[in-house]
Amino acid sequence: MSRSETVLACGTCQATLLPGDRYCERCGTRVGTAPNEQTRAGRGCAACGAPVEAIGAERYCSLCGVRQRSPQDRQEIDLIVAAGVSDRGHVRRRNEDALHLQTVGERGVAVVICDGISSSLSADVAARRGADAAGAVLAEALRGEQAMLAEAMTSAVGAAQQAVLEVPWTSRCDRDVPSCTLVSAVCRNRELVIGWVGDSRAYWIAGEDSCQLTVDDSWAQEQVAAGLLSVQEAGADKRAHSITRWLGHDAPDEEPQILTLRPTEPGRLVLCSDGLWNYTPAAAGLAAQLDALPPGTAAITAAHSLADAALSAGGHDNITVAVLNMAPPGEG
Amino acid sequence: MTTFTAEAYQNEYLPADGGEVNAVVTVTASGAASAITSTQAAEVIIVDVSGSMSHPHAKLTAATRATAVAIDCIRDGVMFGVIAGNDTATAVYPQEGGLVAASPQTRQDARQAVAQLQVTGGTAIGSWLALANELFAATPAAIRHAILLTDGRDEHETRTELEAVLADCEGNFQCDCRGVGTDWQVQELRRIATKLLGSVDIVAEPADLEADFQAMIERAMGKATGDVSLRLWTPQGATVAFLKQVAPTIEDLSDRANAVDTLTADYPTGAWGDESRDYHLCVHVQARAVGEEMLAGRIGLMVGGEAVSQALIRAIWTDDEQLSTRINREVAHYTGQAELADAIQEGLEARKRGDEHTATFKLGRAVQLAAAAGNSDTMKLLAGVVDVQDVHTGTVRLKPRVQDADEMALDTRSTKTVRVKKPGS
Repeated sequence: MSRSETVLACGTCQATLLPGDRYCERCGTRVGTAPNEQTRAGRGCAACGAPVEAIGAERYCSLCGVRQRSPQDRQEIDLIVAAGVSDRGHVRRRNEDALHLQTVGERGVAVVICDGISSSLSADVAARRGADAAGAVLAEALRGEQAMLAEAMTSAVGAAQQAVLEVPWTSRCDRDVPSCTLVSAVCRNRELVIGWVGDSRAYWIAGEDSCQLTVDDSWAQEQVAAGLLSVQEAGADKRAHSITRWLGHDAPDEEPQILTLRPTEPGRLVLCSDGLWNYTPAAAGLAAQLDALPPGTAAITAAHSLADAALSAGGHDNITVAVLNMAPPGEG
Repeated sequence: MTTFTAEAYQNEYLPADGGEVNAVVTVTASGAASAITSTQAAEVIIVDVSGSMSHPHAKLTAATRATAVAIDCIRDGVMFGVIAGNDTATAVYPQEGGLVAASPQTRQDARQAVAQLQVTGGTAIGSWLALANELFAATPAAIRHAILLTDGRDEHETRTELEAVLADCEGNFQCDCRGVGTDWQVQELRRIATKLLGSVDIVAEPADLEADFQAMIERAMGKATGDVSLRLWTPQGATVAFLKQVAPTIEDLSDRANAVDTLTADYPTGAWGDESRDYHLCVHVQARAVGEEMLAGRIGLMVGGEAVSQALIRAIWTDDEQLSTRINREVAHYTGQAELADAIQEGLEARKRGDEHTATFKLGRAVQLAAAAGNSDTMKLLAGVVDVQDVHTGTVRLKPRVQDADEMALDTRSTKTVRVKKPGS
């Protein structure tokens, strides 16, 4: 991938950014932190194309009546090499997914996605605090040049568990205590460590070599692993989405599953919540969606494109996806 | 100052391919009482003086007495007049035409003029309304109301002539119509009342006229805001299946739409006092994807050319059947009430044609619906034309002999509805 071909713009002032810029030279906004709303809002009606003046105070189009999505429905973080979006989806009242994404130095990236368990109290708070706590530990490890990233991942998940435990809650009828899943990646040079608890996933996307990296902690996965059901049968069952491990007070075991890899070929790392992979569970499917994009597509564009696909497929759950572009060894 | 509020009741959730949106909008006007005295009003009373009014003579006596009572109820300062109608229309008071301001003196003069009424000739209701229209045209009053009393058919003019007059009068004044005795036609008076935003009813016993006139005029005097319209906006690609007033009576407003622009239409509702009316709106929209939300309609009130209050009708598509299959109480209630009115009218028509099978089925269904809605007034009227055997299954037998008055009362009052019982009230 040739980086210089992609023109990047500051989310706040639209000034051109150079690859690797962490702050905008013109306005000083930290890259990726400005809500990049100008690109999505202000376009008029998404359904009938009526001009922006036709959109009323309650976001209904005064021509076709269709309610416009709120800018808060989708948040994005664009750090050039890595980017992510988190979308409320169509059906859920609020977004209980959380995305933490940060770069450290030239080559360090830490990304965490937590999916708040919707039957639990303050699921959104649990996800937010869990993701930020894990992200902070990973960033610290990258800054401190800690040798063992896998150890850092274990500590990060431990910190996330602690943060979720500290979410205040009061016992209420038939609601679970605050809890969430977690999938995280930390990357330095070409070393990549993935950690997860629950059914949020990581995929390696590189043409025919694409594969799912994580193994869900879920009822369906256990059935498949035990040879009791096929992937299709297990996926069709009502219990398919029952997860067997999570973060929170009543978590059976918060020890994360951890995977280390050193990709030698260029490719993309994709992390996502089940709101995304429900519609495209197979790595090949995600690869096909990303291959359809023009060569050199920015990570943020790839992330939007995957989230849009899940949204137009129904958007039943919150959708969160992060994309990390891994350049070939020569460039990296 | 009258304040209007509009509130929508609906199940906004539609199934994946659903496109029919139903809502009941309750419009409430309050604060009219204090505004009335400063509101200009005009009242015209139209009394049938055709020859038949003296058969029996009690009809004329009752009509003149009722008119006198109505005159007494007219508030000081209200512009009023009395018209006598047969083949033509005559200004009874003031004799020189026009309207006069009500005062103790003018009210007494009017009563005396009414007492002198003589009967002769036929019935040409269009000519009476045309004269009333002329009298109203000369007044700037915001509230313009007429009472029309007749005992017979509109025999001495053509249907086309009457329709032409109705078209001229429409929007100029409101008219409540009353039939005395049983020789008049329900369809005919209902047509006039509907066109002129008024009510229609039977006063079978001449002796009951006084109370009825008094109630009507008091209601008219309670109006403080004239020319109120409902303004309905629907999105591009949507069609309005119907807009009906469903309480206190059923009136289909669909044909009254005056287009404002391609997406907006106004529906006149006449004058308002302190009162509450319910409207049932049914809109067909193009289905959107699950999770999407659409504004399927916006109903506002236009008072003196200004929008004063509005209610939003939404559509949200869901694949959760628990949400989409829920039927809103208000919508269900008035759907039943509209079916009740239709069942009564169709049942009575079938009975007139001699189609006993259809009549029994329709009136039986009416009994079932009236019982379910707790519409006891309608239930009593139904008992006048059928023997009820089982209210729950709607098993009835047609009465072999039915009083004309009972049948006409059921027909005219079939559109009166009961309101939804609010929980806890």
